[in-house]
Amino acid sequence: MYPEKLEKFLLKVQKPGRYTGGELNSVIKDKREVDIRYAFCFPDTYEIGMSHLGMKILYALVNAREDAWCERVFAPDTDMEAVMRENDIPLYALESGEAIKDFDIIGFTLQYELCYTNVLNMLDLAGIPVRSENRESLTPLIIAGGTCVCNPEPMADFFDITLPGDGEEVTNELIDLLKEFKKQGKGKKEFLEAAAQIPGVYVPSLYKVEYNDDCTVKSVTPTCGAPEKVVKRNVKNLDTMFAPETFVVPFIETVFDRTTVEIFRGCIRGCRFCQAGFLSRPLREKSPETVFSQCKAICDSTGYDEISLCSLSTSDYKGLEKLLGTLIPWGDDNKINVALPSLRIDNFPKDLMEKLNTVRRSGLTFAPEAGTQRLRDVINKNVYEKDILSTCAQAFAGGWTAVKLYFMIGLPTETNEDIEGIARLAQAVVDEFYHMENKPKGKGVSVSVSLASLVPKPFTPFQWEPQDKPDVLTEKQDFLVSCVRTRKVNISRHVPWTSFLEGVFARGDRRLCSVIETAWRSGCRMDSWEEHLDREKWNAAFEQCGIDPFFYTARARSFDEVLPWDHMDYGVTKKFLQRENEKAHRGETTQSCREKCSGCGAARLNGGECNELCAAVV
Amino acid sequence: MNSVRLWYKKSGLAIYTSHLDMNRCFTRAVRMAGIPLWYTEGFNPHPYLNFLLPLPLGTGAEKDPIDIRITEDISFDEIKSRLNAVLPGGIEIVAVTEPAIKVSEVAKAGYEIILEFLTPEEACAFAAGALAVIESGELNAEKRSKRGIKTVNLCSFVSSFDASSEGGRVKIKAVISAGPAENLNAALLADSLLKEFGASAEKTEITRTEIFTADGKIFI
Repeated sequence: MYPEKLEKFLLKVQKPGRYTGGELNSVIKDKREVDIRYAFCFPDTYEIGMSHLGMKILYALVNAREDAWCERVFAPDTDMEAVMRENDIPLYALESGEAIKDFDIIGFTLQYELCYTNVLNMLDLAGIPVRSENRESLTPLIIAGGTCVCNPEPMADFFDITLPGDGEEVTNELIDLLKEFKKQGKGKKEFLEAAAQIPGVYVPSLYKVEYNDDCTVKSVTPTCGAPEKVVKRNVKNLDTMFAPETFVVPFIETVFDRTTVEIFRGCIRGCRFCQAGFLSRPLREKSPETVFSQCKAICDSTGYDEISLCSLSTSDYKGLEKLLGTLIPWGDDNKINVALPSLRIDNFPKDLMEKLNTVRRSGLTFAPEAGTQRLRDVINKNVYEKDILSTCAQAFAGGWTAVKLYFMIGLPTETNEDIEGIARLAQAVVDEFYHMENKPKGKGVSVSVSLASLVPKPFTPFQWEPQDKPDVLTEKQDFLVSCVRTRKVNISRHVPWTSFLEGVFARGDRRLCSVIETAWRSGCRMDSWEEHLDREKWNAAFEQCGIDPFFYTARARSFDEVLPWDHMDYGVTKKFLQRENEKAHRGETTQSCREKCSGCGAARLNGGECNELCAAVV
Repeated sequence: MNSVRLWYKKSGLAIYTSHLDMNRCFTRAVRMAGIPLWYTEGFNPHPYLNFLLPLPLGTGAEKDPIDIRITEDISFDEIKSRLNAVLPGGIEIVAVTEPAIKVSEVAKAGYEIILEFLTPEEACAFAAGALAVIESGELNAEKRSKRGIKTVNLCSFVSSFDASSEGGRVKIKAVISAGPAENLNAALLADSLLKEFGASAEKTEITRTEIFTADGKIFI
């Protein structure tokens, strides 16, 4: 429900269905009967937030408790923000329509760095001071989870707590503690000190950061008994882990308008640029039986006709064949389409392709990531040109005529030859189509190359690497375009400046808090939307705060530098990452966990157990 | 295979759901309700679901028709109760019937337009003015169509019109052209009338109340 005051403005904003609530399966409780009110905030628009699986999980998890009510909040688009500000309508939660400033917990999920200004903007729209130190009462408690909290430092001044790792267990522990402290009438400081004792809870204000003269971090010192290292939370068993049996079904179309069921967490591959792969280790799989029953339950309660299986690398799922053996026939009977994203090009079996063809055909996307074998070895992608070409040939033979290929530029050790290699590989895929004996008459082929730029991220072997400056990336993009000789290949490129800003925050420290606040106060928000990203305002904010952004991106770091996120522990050790970095520079690959354990260190989070280790021993 | 006509009511929050989103919403609802819907047999099979007269965003409906086809016999009462159990708030099936008149015969629709003004005087003056304008037979407005924007006389779309005021509220009952051949959005009529007098309403509520054929029979 929305505040009554808003009604007369609703038809004046774009897609009012984003702001009304009342969707199927949204949870309405009696506020007098709950102890904790939780506002789950997604710092981007409704269509993006409603596609996010993590929100669906935590929404169902908190609402499964009788003593708590979780509601959803999204960032209003700029037209709606203007209406809210002009008419003094504070940010409200979609279920109750009530202002969130009176809630107990306001939790953000940080999925990408460019949403940071949206967090500040949402707090401000809610009427809540953005800085933790300016919020004196126990509630609302402002917390955050999600990928980006692996380096929470650029947002350290704003959040009371961040939660690295899996949220399923720690969310409940935190709610329990807050409920108790609220009942006893205790203050915020006492609460934060107690919360810091829960494993996987980081309270930024309890850590003191000192810097060297060259602006690098000298030390991070815990105070008030907070742990030296905050170890990310890891749910050991995915079969017994909480999983939602129903989702809120939006009225309006969202980015991923379908059900999503997770099949495993972690990744056996170790591509050296991939942060998600390292952050989510060790590998933990759900059994095919659990996945199937969750798929059925969710489709029954939402009416969706498409299921997407979610993981970092679907074809690495050991139970895939068994799962598809039951899932696909069931999908055929019920007219439900099964989508398998994140397939690897080197293990995409032909019969799998045929099975996928039965209900509705979606596009084929593969990610070679680099244009030459040498560079693919550097990033440890472990796919070969012959695999790429034979899989594409298979796809063409199966009737596909469009293939999308993902590449990255700005990779360590990259030369012009590697960039040219992208064009060459795309051309080879086109040629593969025309070499086909029974190619369909009158049909052309289309190869879309999507060109991203490497943003070195914390907890990857590339965390020490310099990032290409925007003008260098633009030159490389232009060079690639000049190498393409056919209209069958079309190239879409990312905005280099976006990658630059992302890079600043990804590996930033606490000194960036003031930059983010300054930029936001000068009007920056929705920075991930190209039409809203305002370079001049950002540049002015860096200048005003006396900070050189290239200090964070363009500089090569030494292995012995204290990194701003060193007090976070995601399982993988710094030693392992260093080893992988050195191997990258030697052009050596590392085998997947399934072939050989590389000793990343993440198994200790699972009590020393790792899916893959056990399998190797047995 | 049987053709079935569903009649739904759209009110409250649901009026902010666009036509395309309504389509998705009903597709999911019939799936959840376990109604054996007929799927098109093309390359990409999709459920056959035909909204006879799409509603503009922001307009409600008392009783609007959707045609579906089902592959197994199932009673109309059963269809109605199963769908109502799974439809989101604001969307309700009010009747299920056999289609009696062809879609192509839809020609007009009746609307109720409620406008709220700050003062009773303003409301009273507007109601009288609106009646006079329609009576005069000329109310020009820019109308958007697939062929672009052009100025048309809205009165030529109006079959009947009545406006009355009570306190600060003006209630308009109008029957205007509807259907694929000639269609007028009731919101455009309301806005044009407001513009004519330089007035602005605090709140506007538009509901489609019934649908008619060319000779004025109620569409069933």
